[in-house]
Amino acid sequence: MFQAMGVHGPALSPLAALLMDVVLLGCAFWLLAKPTKRPIFDSLFLMSLVLSVSLLRVVMQPLPNVQPVTVAALLVGAQLGARRGAAFAVLVAMISNFFIGDGWWTLFQAAGWASIAFAGSRLSLVTSSGLNLRRACIASLVAAFWFDLVVSFSILDGTIGITEFITYLVHGLPFDFLHMVGNFVFVVWMGSWFSGLLQEEPTLE
Amino acid sequence: MFRRLMALLFISLLLVPTLLAQETTNPWNDSHALAWEYDFETGYISTSPLFADEQIVVRTSGNSEPAVTAFDTNGNKTWQRLNPASTNNDMSPLLLVQPGEGECGMWPEMILVGWTNGVIEALNPSNGEVLWSIQTEVIGWGVTGQLALDGEFVIVPTRQGIGQYCLADGQQQWWTETGLGWRNGVAVDDTGYFIGDESGQLWHVNRTGMATSYDLQLGKIRHAPLLTDAGIFLHAQQDSSGLIAIVEPNDGHVLQQFPTGPSPALPSLQGDYVLTGDSSAVRIFICSTECEILDEVPFHTNGEIGWYENGMIYAPSNTFDSTWGLFTFDGRENLTVQSLDVGIQGYGTAAPLQYIVGGVLFTAFGNDHGVLRVYSEDATNELPPNNESPPNNQSSPNHESSPNHEFSSSVQGLVFVMYLLLGSSTVSLLNGKKEWFVRMFSLFILILCVLIVPDLSTQWSQTFDEKFPETSASEEWNEQWPDTWLGTQIVIIEIDGEEHVLGGFVGHETVFSLTQAACNEFGFELSSSSTELGMYVDSIDGVEAEGWVFAVDGSKGVVSSDQSKIESASIVRWSPV
Repeated sequence: MFQAMGVHGPALSPLAALLMDVVLLGCAFWLLAKPTKRPIFDSLFLMSLVLSVSLLRVVMQPLPNVQPVTVAALLVGAQLGARRGAAFAVLVAMISNFFIGDGWWTLFQAAGWASIAFAGSRLSLVTSSGLNLRRACIASLVAAFWFDLVVSFSILDGTIGITEFITYLVHGLPFDFLHMVGNFVFVVWMGSWFSGLLQEEPTLE
Repeated sequence: MFRRLMALLFISLLLVPTLLAQETTNPWNDSHALAWEYDFETGYISTSPLFADEQIVVRTSGNSEPAVTAFDTNGNKTWQRLNPASTNNDMSPLLLVQPGEGECGMWPEMILVGWTNGVIEALNPSNGEVLWSIQTEVIGWGVTGQLALDGEFVIVPTRQGIGQYCLADGQQQWWTETGLGWRNGVAVDDTGYFIGDESGQLWHVNRTGMATSYDLQLGKIRHAPLLTDAGIFLHAQQDSSGLIAIVEPNDGHVLQQFPTGPSPALPSLQGDYVLTGDSSAVRIFICSTECEILDEVPFHTNGEIGWYENGMIYAPSNTFDSTWGLFTFDGRENLTVQSLDVGIQGYGTAAPLQYIVGGVLFTAFGNDHGVLRVYSEDATNELPPNNESPPNNQSSPNHESSPNHEFSSSVQGLVFVMYLLLGSSTVSLLNGKKEWFVRMFSLFILILCVLIVPDLSTQWSQTFDEKFPETSASEEWNEQWPDTWLGTQIVIIEIDGEEHVLGGFVGHETVFSLTQAACNEFGFELSSSSTELGMYVDSIDGVEAEGWVFAVDGSKGVVSSDQSKIESASIVRWSPV
């Protein structure tokens, strides 16, 4: 199934890639499947949200490791709950990688953002008075490092030892820092607005 | 009060870009113009050209037929001496010898050339005719170091020894075995000769050929020792760093040590002052009773440093986007550097040549790109019409191509936005609008980070690799490979399941540089693109696959190939994904 090994982890054969996409899509639909009172409106809203954030990620690709999706996943998780947050993360990872480049790492990116959405749903980032900006800022900084760590696991293909893996992580620290700064900017500029945008949407939990 | 202080701090930050802009102004570009150029198309110019008999004489080797080529002052080729038998990179500097007479006989003006196939040739500067030729030992390599003159003799550092030869006819007077050497030149003093070797030994050989060794254990000595009043100045290469040592010439006792960056350049001596370079910095020392660092500036240079009588100092930057460093030393303790783009890309180790024709100072630059570019100090000079070199689409440094004169609207726009953000931050802070202050200032920091993190990351990776070098090695030496590849850099490229292997490379600092050289020799087209994370290899010999990955001595690359450092004996393997 795995064709070759490389720094970005194993390259997937067409069959493996198809299988991975099916699994990811299946997860996303299963997470979204629970009906709401306004199924068409909610579906359209979520669809446009996913597409917008995916597009934003593609557009911002030239900026190294500035990842708007991390904050979006965190806030979607906080507002709409873990289930929809995880579905959002999986879909955004798949759609944006369709343009940026699909591969083994998509699985880890989807897992990274889904776990951030889950964390967002548990951190009480949204209170009755709106988004707790201080808490969201701190969460976004930690989320940046967490996401980069999770995605880094994609290079483990059996040929890389623990020392090499740590070396790989240390080499990437400047870009982890950039991810953190990017997240902070997204939260202070757009956090409250984005959170408010999601306020009307029901959670599934 | 605190708020006002902070505001003052932010306003003062506004001045930083202005100060930086002042530092990058480079008057060299205003006072020099391209006089002529010659494109060798293939081959490296690894050592400084020389000026003899009103001609510019250049040696080239590497992925071309090794040659010494002469040009007249208009850039027309006048003669060329080929040595197809010299199969490795020739880096022994050319040596101009003035006419003279001794017990061996008379000799005319001549150029001495040491080749990696062990041959020493004396060439007539006017026509390239061989006056005499001798064969020295070859152990994988022949002559790679700097020859030295001693009265009527030339002192030759051979691969594993040192010999004394008559200038008149090349007759060998004696030859003495020392240690295995590479790029290890000879220094001459009243007591005889000094030479270093790859195992870190300093050798003293007297004028009758009797050798004494001092096992200094400093690292590889790859330059001619410098004889200063404070002692013998050595800049040794260690695995991932360098070490400068001052050694007592009488007993080999180490008097002083200074840690440096890796891959030392050839140090240069002027009076009591010594200039050194390596992959991290250029330093200036004063060595009278003892050596003392006067100043240092960050710069990446691993070859020759040109320090000329007019006080100009040039060093090639041995990096992918090669520029030259133009250094100024104020004679006291201040060393400054300006980046000089002379329109040639590629790695470089050769110091420029300076010569005067008709009262005009000319400077000739060459590097691994195999292009010789000559600039005149008189800015009104134009390219002569009879230049036989093919047209080069890279323009002169005092035109649009110069980064110092380039106007990038996107960068300027970004700087303007940063000014606005800083100003807005200040105003928000003064007005007590904390939220807007955080927004504006964080955006300013983000833009700043986007601009500096790629370079910062490179520096970070290099520093980390220097502090914690990789020790695991699983790529094994193949017994079927020729012995001449032992101790050199080897490249393996896997294409369609077949391994293409080439070795014998030396002096490459990064995986990318070595891969470029290997692809040139293989005849493979190497397609790459520059990204924020470094150079990305798109395809090799037209094979794109799903990307290419490399390993150094069996360890997978964790940074881009142009940031991945290699040792003098590394095996690099490229595999398609």
